[in-house]
This record gives sequence, structure tokens and C-alpha cells, in this order.
Amino acid sequence: MNVQLTGVAKSYGGTPALQDIDLEIGTGVTGLLGPNGAGKTTLLRIIATSIAPDRGKVRLLGHDPHRGHAELVAARRGLGYLPQELGYPADMSTFGFVEYLAVLKEWNDRRARQQEVRRVLGLVDLADLAGKRVSKLSGGQRRRVGLAQALLGDPALLVLDEPTTGLDPAQRATLRRTLSVAARQSSVLLSTHQTEDVAAVCDRVIVLVGGRVAHDGDVAGFVASARDRVWLHDRPVADAVATWRDPAGGVRSVGGTPPTGAQAAPPTVEDAYLLLVGPAAVEGAA
Amino acid sequence: MGMEAPAEVEDAVLLRAAADGDLGAVRVLYERHAPWLTARLMRRCNDREVVVDVVQDTFLAMWQDAATWRSDGEVAGWLWGIAFRRMVSRLRQRKQTVLMPEWDGAATGLLPAAEDQVLLDVEYGDLGTALRRLSPEFRAVVQACVLDGLTTREASRLLGVRENTVKTRLHRAKAQLRGSLADLRLEGLT
Amino acid sequence: MSTTTWHADPNLLRAYVEGRLDAVLSASLERHVDACAHCRSQIGPLVEVPVLEEAWSGIRTGIESGRLPLLVRLAQRLGLPEPTGILLAATASLRLTWLTGGLVTLCFVTLASILADGAALWPFLLVAPLVPVLGVAVSYGPAEEPFEALTVTTPYGRARLIMVRTLAVLTLTLPAAALLGLTLPGPAWVAVAWLGPALAMIPLLLALASLTGPRLAASLLSLGWTGLVLFAARDLPSTWPVEGTQQVAYLTLALLAAAFLWVRSQRTQQIGVAL
Repeated sequence: MNVQLTGVAKSYGGTPALQDIDLEIGTGVTGLLGPNGAGKTTLLRIIATSIAPDRGKVRLLGHDPHRGHAELVAARRGLGYLPQELGYPADMSTFGFVEYLAVLKEWNDRRARQQEVRRVLGLVDLADLAGKRVSKLSGGQRRRVGLAQALLGDPALLVLDEPTTGLDPAQRATLRRTLSVAARQSSVLLSTHQTEDVAAVCDRVIVLVGGRVAHDGDVAGFVASARDRVWLHDRPVADAVATWRDPAGGVRSVGGTPPTGAQAAPPTVEDAYLLLVGPAAVEGAA
Repeated sequence: MGMEAPAEVEDAVLLRAAADGDLGAVRVLYERHAPWLTARLMRRCNDREVVVDVVQDTFLAMWQDAATWRSDGEVAGWLWGIAFRRMVSRLRQRKQTVLMPEWDGAATGLLPAAEDQVLLDVEYGDLGTALRRLSPEFRAVVQACVLDGLTTREASRLLGVRENTVKTRLHRAKAQLRGSLADLRLEGLT
Repeated sequence: MSTTTWHADPNLLRAYVEGRLDAVLSASLERHVDACAHCRSQIGPLVEVPVLEEAWSGIRTGIESGRLPLLVRLAQRLGLPEPTGILLAATASLRLTWLTGGLVTLCFVTLASILADGAALWPFLLVAPLVPVLGVAVSYGPAEEPFEALTVTTPYGRARLIMVRTLAVLTLTLPAAALLGLTLPGPAWVAVAWLGPALAMIPLLLALASLTGPRLAASLLSLGWTGLVLFAARDLPSTWPVEGTQQVAYLTLALLAAAFLWVRSQRTQQIGVAL
């Protein structure tokens, strides 16, 4: 197990952001879903050792980062992190930015470091833009630069906070491939608002609601939990959590009591998520 | 390095992309121009280390100045200007001489085919013979100023003579060439 | 007659590249190649690949890495390790503009004190200790906050990065300020005495910054020191702020601040908060 959290809790000025989190994460890709404010970013920051929890125990890659500086650094050596928002010093080129982080990750030999920077830039298709100023890149390209630095050194634990934001479908597909390859030997933990990302690349899914774990299991099981609860009919079903027009015709309703004649539709990750999180999330709770 | 660079994209377009930070564009420009620049430089100085350095400096300068290039003339000519000047200044620093092409003597073992004679006729008309008849000092200034595009001041530094001397020799060389030909095809001689 | 339909045959090109062509033919060929993209491309395969690749890798590195600032390159020549140089190159306060601004300010206040002929040392004593402090505060990089959130998770760590930057700033500003101090009128020991509050304020700044953030901490310290110096300038002798008793007080404060920082960093529950 690369990550083990027991009884982790964190509050910000009296408001609890995370409560009673017990998690274990091994190799493979784990997706983190949840409405805004559910605590996804806080959880990822704790796992990335960016902040410390108020209570609970954390074990990362066999180390306890709160047990002294040496253990903390040892844990960080196997870590790659992409925060939700990333700032860039003015005037840095793409290559320069990733190289700066490579130095911080203790790549001291120049030739090896530059080769590694080129390698990760190649993984995210930014090799040609190596000389361009980061400030001149588009939002999606900047996200990929952030991803590149997280991939430095093939870390055993990759923590990515909304890596697909700002990427077009083709780039998202490339990202998913890169992550699948990385996940053969590492733990990849990514948070996302796109349930298709979870469906396409994740083996496990964790759903956070209100700072607690609402679901933790494999993706297939998660999807199965929505079986026989999603309906296809010519009009919306009463009491449904969400309804929308199905591209194949008719109306797709998630949840609710179906009238006679309504067909059960094959469920997706999105359906399962909506059923779990409930109507409050659909309204777009902050 | 054997890939034929895509011919559709013009040099000027690539240069603009390079000014914007596109390393791929620099690579294509490199593949197009580095070989002939290298060959041409090697004929002026057979020190491989110097040539490699100069080619590097040239393309780095191209990268840095790409935004300032005004689209007057060919990128190829611009690059040669940068490259040759760099080589001259580097060799001067190291107190080495720039090899002047061998004007005397027949080419060893290579006689131009009839086709290639066309080249000579096309470029220089009867000039070939007239050029051969110039004295070495005159040839040197013609090579430096007319063929390699240096200014008289730069040529004076290269050849180690005063600028006035260069100007005089160039003037006399041109007069001599003009006198021995009917067809003034060589640019800069009129 | 135009040359657009004539192209050099491969043997001719090869002879040229190998240097077997005489000057006139070469000159003709070069003339043609200048204008003919097709023949240029034919030269490609004839030039040795290792030469071209060697030059290319230098170009690529030059473009990718860019040039480190002059100051950093100088330091590297004097023995600064290359990775540290890269880290420092991105530091705002080491930018030449900052340094020049700081030095210019120092020059002005030194001049002011000289002109006042020792009766008023307070301009110099006010500014000199603050220059390194402000430089250190800026080296936190407040404009780069989201970036700092990432750097704290690296093995090198934010604390060490700030320490390195602090040392760099001090190495640059303290000797310059000390030299200026030597030009002051009045007792010679003043020239070094101002180092007391300057150095004491660094741990104070770091300790305060861990509570309030670098900008607020620097502001508070600046206000405090300004108040002290100006208050002293009214009735007390001009060297009062740097006299013996005061120095002991500064030293005590500095030691307390250092102890505070040490205790805080030991309680590692507070990751990324102590510094």
C-alpha cells in the first residue's frame, strides 16, 4: 500500500474540511470525485505533504512524514504533485520551469537532469515549446507543463488535482494513456469533475461528500450500484435526481420511481455518482 | 537527421514561429540550412571545432534575433551573414587565418561536365577566366566583399589591411574585371 | 538566364563539400546555392551527421536552458554549485534592478549622513539594516504563492530554499553596505555596528513571517525599526541605536526568534508553516 490514512481530519478555522478519513491506496489509478467543497483538494494536499492534518495518521510509501524531517524528505522523494492552481515565476521558459523543479527534486547532474526534463516534456507533447515562455502558453498547455514536472523521476505516488482541466478531448486521451502507463508501477491519485475520466482510466473510485468518504471501491462495482435505477422513457421520471435528453431519443432519468413502460438503461459512472451525491450536488452546491 | 524538411512551410514562416518560441521550427530551419552553412564554412576554415561553434552561435543568434528580422531578402543570405561574421571574429580572436579558397591551379581530377559548365556560364559568364587573372590581393578582396558579402571595414579587419587599401583594391579589381569582359553578370561589379 | 531550372548534380556537390572544387567553381556554386532551396537540401546528406548533431545539441541546450543571469554565472565561476545557481536565478530579489535600487538608496542615505557631518547618522542607521531585511523578505517570492505551494512538497523543500536565498541576498548586500558605512563620519565602529540590528532582524523576520507571512512581517519590522531610530534621533545621541546596551537587546531578541523557529520546526505537525 503506497498511501494509508487513518482517522485523518482537518479543519479550517472551525469549519471541518475532512472528517474521519480512512483510506488505503495501492498501485493503479484511483479517481477522486465529489462536489465542490467536499474536501478533495484538502485531501490531496495532505497526501502530497503540502499541509498537515489536525488529527490522524498518514503513511506514505512506507514512511511517516510527521515523524521528523528525514522521514518527510524520504516520502517526498517518491512523490509527484500537481496542485489545483499553479503559479509560474515571470520570465521562465517551459524547459526552465520544469528544470527548476527537477533541481528541487535533487537532480543535480546536469546532463541527466536535462535529459529527464526533455523526457517528461515529450510525454506531455510539449517538446517543441520547450523554449517558449510559460506566460505565453495557453491554459491547457500550462496544465501540461504542471503535469510534466509531476512526472519527473517516475514517482511511485502521483497526486494530481484536476489534471484534465482545460484539456481538449484529444489531449485528455493522451493524458489518460500516460497515466495508465505510469500506473503500472505507481499509485496515481487524481481528482476530477469529469466522470468520463474515471470511467476511462481509473481502477478505483473514491467519492467524498461533505468531508467524508461516501464510497470507496472499484469502478465496476460503483457503476453496478446504479443498475436498475436509471431509466429511459419518453418523458422525465418523477422524483428523478437528474434528467436529460438522451442522444438516442427519449429522456434519461437517474433515480426516481419509473412509470410502466420505462426501460432500464445501462448505468454509467456519472449515474452512480449522481445517485450517491443526491440532488443537492446537482444544484451545484458550492 | 536524414529527414527531408517539409517543403511547404516557408523559411519566413518558420522564423516567425521560432520568434514565438517554437523549438520545432528552429529544428526544421536547422535541417534546411545547417548543412550548406557547415560546408561553406568548412571551405573557409578547416578547423572542425571552430565550425561547430560558429554554427551553434549562428542558430542561437537566429533564435534570439528572430523577432527582429525584417522580411527583406532571404533567410539563407541572412544566416550566412551571421555565420561568416562570427567565424571571422572568432578566428581573429584566436589569431588564426581564414582559409582563402584556392584560386590557382586546376581542380584536381575534376573537370566539370558539360552541364556544369552551364553553371559557370550562367553565373559568371567569362568571369571565371578574368577572376583567375587577378592578382592574389585583388582576388582576396573580391572574395571577401563581393562573394562573401562583407563590408569594406570587415574585409579590412579580416585581411589585416587598412580599409582604404581594401577600397582601392576593390575598385581596381572591379575595373580590371570590367575591362576584361563583355558580360557583367556578377552582382556588385556594375 | 535564370538558374531556377538548373540544379547541381550530386557529384559536383560532393566535390564541393569535400573541398575538391576550385575557387571559381566553388564561388559559382555558392552563388547558386544562396538562391536555390533545392540544392541546399541536396547538401544535407553529404555533410557528416556527427558534426551536425553535435552542433544541434548545443543549440537545443542553449535554447532550452536559456542564459542564467550574469550575477549567477559569475558566482558559478567562483564555485557556486550549478543546481544552486539555477534556484537562485529565479529569485526576484537577486535581480539586478533590485540590487541596484537598494544600493542607490544606500548611497543616498550615506551621502545624507556625511553631509550632516556626523550630527545625524540616523538616515544611514535607518536604511542600512533594512536593506538586507527587505531583500530577504522579497526572496520569499510573495508574487509566486501558488508556486510555493508546490515547492514545499519537494525533497529540497521550501525552508532550505529560503535559507539559500537569504544567504545569497546577505552575501550581496552586506559587504556593499559595510563599505558605504566606512565612509561615514563619526566613530569608526559605527561602520560595523549597524550590522548588529541588521543581522538580528533576519531571524526576527523569519520568525514573524512564519506567523504572519513575509510581507506583513517585513512591514512590521520596518515600522518598528523606523519608529525606534526616529524616536532616538530626537533627544538621544546619534549613535544610540547601535550602542552596546541596544546591541545586547537585539542579540537577545534574535536568539529568542531563533529558538522560536527551532521549536516550531520540531513540531513537524506544522509542515510548511515554520518557514
